[in-house]
Amino acid sequence: MATTSLEDKATVAVKTGGGLGRYILVRFLLILPTVLVLVSLVFVLMRVVGDPITASAGGRLTQEQLAERLAAAGYDRPIAVQYAEFIRDIFTGDFGRTVTDNRPISEVLLTYGAATFELVFFSVIVALAVGIPLGRWAAYRRDRLPDAVLRVLAILAYATPVFFAGLLLKLVFSVWLGWLPLGGRGTTATQLTLSGIDGASGIYTLDALRTGRWDLISDVLSHAVLPALALGLITGGVFLRLVRINLIGTLSMDYVAAARSRGVRERRLVRKHAYRPALIPIITVMGMQIALMLGGAVLTETTFEWRGLGFELARYLAARDYVAVQGIVALLAVIVAVTNFLVDVIAAFIDPRVRY
Amino acid sequence: MRVDRLALALTGTLLVALSACAQVDSDQAGGGSPLTIGTTDQVTGLDPAGTWDLGSATLHGQVYRWLMTSKPGSTQPVPDIAESAEFTSPTEFTVKIRPGLTFANGHKLTASDVKFSFERMRRINDPNGPSQLLADLDDITVQGDDTVVFKLKSKDNVLWPQILTSPAAMILDEEVFPEGKLAEDAEIVKANAFNGPFVITAFKKNEVAQMKRNESYDGILGEAKSAELVAKYYAEPSNLKLDIEQGNIDIAYRTLGPTAVADLESKPGIKVYKGPGAEMRFMVFDFTAMPYGSSTGQADPAKATAVRQAAADLIDRNALAKDVYLGTYSPVYSQVPAGLDGAAEPYKSLYGDGNGGPDVERAKKRLADAGVETPVALNLQYNNDHYGDTSAEEYALIKAQLETGGLFEVNLQTTIWSQYIQDQAKHEYPAYQLGWFSDYPDSDNYLNIIYGSDDVSSLLGKENEKPELSKLIEESRVAVDPAARTGLIEKAQQMYAEYVPTLPLLQGSDIVIARDTVEGVETTLDASFRFRMGVLSKSS
Amino acid sequence: MENSQRAAMTRARSWRSLPIVWHLRLSSGLQRGMLIAGLVLVGVFLLAAALAPLIAPYSYNQLSGPGGAFPRHASPSAEFLWGTTVGGYDVFSRVVWGSRTALLTVVMAIAPSLVIGVALGLISGYLGGALDRVLAMIADAIYAFPSLLLAIVVSIVISGGQSSFLGGILAAALAISVVFVPQYFRVTRAETLRIKAEPYVESAQVIGTSTRRILAKHVLRNATRSLPLIITLNASEAILTLAALGFLGFGINPAAAAEWGYDINRAISDVASGIWWTGVFPGLAIVLLVMGITLVGESLNDLADPRLRLRRESRRARTTEGAA
Repeated sequence: MATTSLEDKATVAVKTGGGLGRYILVRFLLILPTVLVLVSLVFVLMRVVGDPITASAGGRLTQEQLAERLAAAGYDRPIAVQYAEFIRDIFTGDFGRTVTDNRPISEVLLTYGAATFELVFFSVIVALAVGIPLGRWAAYRRDRLPDAVLRVLAILAYATPVFFAGLLLKLVFSVWLGWLPLGGRGTTATQLTLSGIDGASGIYTLDALRTGRWDLISDVLSHAVLPALALGLITGGVFLRLVRINLIGTLSMDYVAAARSRGVRERRLVRKHAYRPALIPIITVMGMQIALMLGGAVLTETTFEWRGLGFELARYLAARDYVAVQGIVALLAVIVAVTNFLVDVIAAFIDPRVRY
Repeated sequence: MRVDRLALALTGTLLVALSACAQVDSDQAGGGSPLTIGTTDQVTGLDPAGTWDLGSATLHGQVYRWLMTSKPGSTQPVPDIAESAEFTSPTEFTVKIRPGLTFANGHKLTASDVKFSFERMRRINDPNGPSQLLADLDDITVQGDDTVVFKLKSKDNVLWPQILTSPAAMILDEEVFPEGKLAEDAEIVKANAFNGPFVITAFKKNEVAQMKRNESYDGILGEAKSAELVAKYYAEPSNLKLDIEQGNIDIAYRTLGPTAVADLESKPGIKVYKGPGAEMRFMVFDFTAMPYGSSTGQADPAKATAVRQAAADLIDRNALAKDVYLGTYSPVYSQVPAGLDGAAEPYKSLYGDGNGGPDVERAKKRLADAGVETPVALNLQYNNDHYGDTSAEEYALIKAQLETGGLFEVNLQTTIWSQYIQDQAKHEYPAYQLGWFSDYPDSDNYLNIIYGSDDVSSLLGKENEKPELSKLIEESRVAVDPAARTGLIEKAQQMYAEYVPTLPLLQGSDIVIARDTVEGVETTLDASFRFRMGVLSKSS
Repeated sequence: MENSQRAAMTRARSWRSLPIVWHLRLSSGLQRGMLIAGLVLVGVFLLAAALAPLIAPYSYNQLSGPGGAFPRHASPSAEFLWGTTVGGYDVFSRVVWGSRTALLTVVMAIAPSLVIGVALGLISGYLGGALDRVLAMIADAIYAFPSLLLAIVVSIVISGGQSSFLGGILAAALAISVVFVPQYFRVTRAETLRIKAEPYVESAQVIGTSTRRILAKHVLRNATRSLPLIITLNASEAILTLAALGFLGFGINPAAAAEWGYDINRAISDVASGIWWTGVFPGLAIVLLVMGITLVGESLNDLADPRLRLRRESRRARTTEGAA
């Protein structure tokens, strides 16, 4: 409730011509309700699609036995009561334990969050390395052969379902050539070594670097290549098209035309004049894409046995584990909301008009 | 601009690092490395009180011990932690514990640990746990350091020794496991609270379990053949398949699809072992919703029976096993799988051509005699996220088989599991797929699905029960004389088959795929369906 | 859709001004090449969808012919052009029928989300205030949920987990459109916010033009500039999401309809066992259809945007270009 009134005040401030600081404040205050809306939505949806106890013991226990277990877990109480309890727990910071395998949510989030972060980190590198330079090149050479080829390749990367591409990548690089491992985040030996070190972060690359052992580092990196490529290239294709189209858009702006008429060369036009204004939509979409990758990499994670948040979320969803799904979704919601916030703030810095 | 240069530099570094290490781990399973077993089963946790699934039970079987278990090659429970175990009165089962037993951490294993383990299981009564299996346990008392008396609710419960070998009966360290709640996996590993042939030295849930031989183990399974063992958990069967094919792991145990198994059979360096399996696949008729069922407009038990029997005539189990499952399942002609004591094959002689094959004319006559109009419209439900992907092919073929001769008109549908199991309970499915895994290797565990009494209804629902059948099952449970019990079980199967509440279709095979270097797989494949990793080893 | 319109109305007098024809005439060089390539690809699939019963030799769920039951895992032959699946279905027939499922889902997913998303985005962005904040918050929240998982949950809720043909498609389509609404909303709203600050809108406000008229005449036209790209992106995404749902096992019963994602899911173990034809063909179908749609979308987007379209002329007449 407190947030609403604050938010109203902030709204008023903006309307009366607040500055950047106020704008940021409003956007920041919006994070909490956003997360709350999503978590509540998930709470309700999950209660519609079944319960974890029936999902796990159904077909093995009779109806009476199932009912007994449901009652013991408190799932036979009215939804409103359960919801109130859930909200209260969230605000007291008690996310509970998963229903199906009795793990603290915090542990689930940390373990799998680290894995997903690692995958997304590498994928974003691939996507940026592919998308930005090639997108600029395509814009610069637009409507010529390089542009056409790049665009078709970008579309191809995007059009290939990751589970299909992943399978082909695995067949070529793991089975035929034997260069790269099939899946997982490291060999079992590496995994056990890394989880054993003091204060392991769960981000294998980081942990391996800390040990300073080359065999571990190379093992971890080699496991990351195929999944990072599969996920990164798809996103890279999107980035390429995004950069290209926005650059071409700004290249035809008046001031660019003016610069062009002053005799500024095309390459320099792209680099100096057209790039910066084209950044807003680019950053906006990239920000959203990256945030979504954090939770949306289910297919990549499944294909490559990369046990991250998306993979576990899908698994818990199939088991109808309310608590686990709610916890993971809450974290994802926070990440996306914060990313959105940062994206908006950056956009506001670049182009003051966004702040209305 | 700087962003992409940075990105380029990073990618460059990444690629260099990669090319430097391109030739990794493809032959990591070479000499001296631990025996590695891959599986797509999942482990719910290390505390037996909170798990009731095959993946967990298999792992627990390596690191915990029971009062009784069965030796490789047999399903008969024999004392293990127990020195002697017997009924001392119709409702009292007395177990004397072998002296000097310890857990791997040195804690003494006494009668008090036994009492603790059973009481804890019942007290926690975890929704994911198997405490239901202990329903017949009334009370448990300790006499001295080495004697435990189980007081049972029913008399002469001949199944009790089997229950003592089930996932509900593992003996845990009372100094480590908390009394009223589940233990954390990490706590258990840290405290080394194991007493099976192996101890877990490191555990990452659903990724890897590292085990080593438990030197203090002296049970009937003998010392573990491998000093070190790694269980690797997969999410995607194709990865498991490729890893065993590549030699990255030594053994693939559960669960590869028929196509993968058939392909691996032809690969050099790989052996495929098939043993009896714990899994049954069958089709259930709902007696209320099926054609002529009690809640339909034209309820007629005689006609309903004729419809079920005609369906039994039409089913070709051999085709299902051979064409759909490529021999990874075998036909089964009773609700009790072959290999168990007392298992018979009544569906073979009663239906079809009398020899296991289908017979359209017989089905046609059966329906005509009962005055059933054909084609009979049948809504048939199957599920594809609980009993494996291949269910789709299985039921497409069943539909085709039932429709031969135009006797049935099958409308095939599939529904996701959590919804499926609720709809099934609400009698929304006239006929549906179901599967069963046993908790202990005894016929009773399979016949139990139809058993109901005044107090409890059966798994298939009240309406499907047949009082005479339930009575037979009850009698078999207290038949102390083995021969008499076998006779009762055979009789129950016959009655079951005549009554046809289900069409038993297929029995799973326990399929183990191992590299040539692995020894001992045959030893553990028996009708007890226990996968004993202690007998496995590899030469290098 | 536009393609069939085009075929039906070739004789109409105004055919030159019809969208695709207009675009084709306008385009040149590489742009024309991409547009034509895209149109051909999409056209092939439209044709396959419309004429599936005529093109496909068998039905999508046919397991036996006059010569008895179909073999399982048969390699491509004259009888089974692209071989048969693990269940004995004809791969070619299922790929052809699958285009019907895919295209139907696209139409059913995009139409409602486009209308709802754009309308809300315009109003929300232009009017601002509390409504805007609430809507933006809800859109952000939905957007924050991984789209595939949202689609899974929604499809379960809608269909009750049943996978009949209509139930399955409807569930998939609605699930996908729930994901798309916030996207249209966000894009339209952002553009609206930007346009609101443009001088021509301000001047329209000053001279007292009604809000509705400003929205319709100025904002809508300009704010939807980037929509064609998003629509095609979403059409592609709808196909990919449908395939992903099928791949993860939340799709349509194979006996009820042909769906590429499901077929690929079942083919994963085939491919790992050296049987390539069951996975490659449905996989290629997805890739080609998505490529076709995206090529058309990109070309349309290029042509609709004067800055992208007129570039060649601008080279020749640079000085007049600036005013556009």
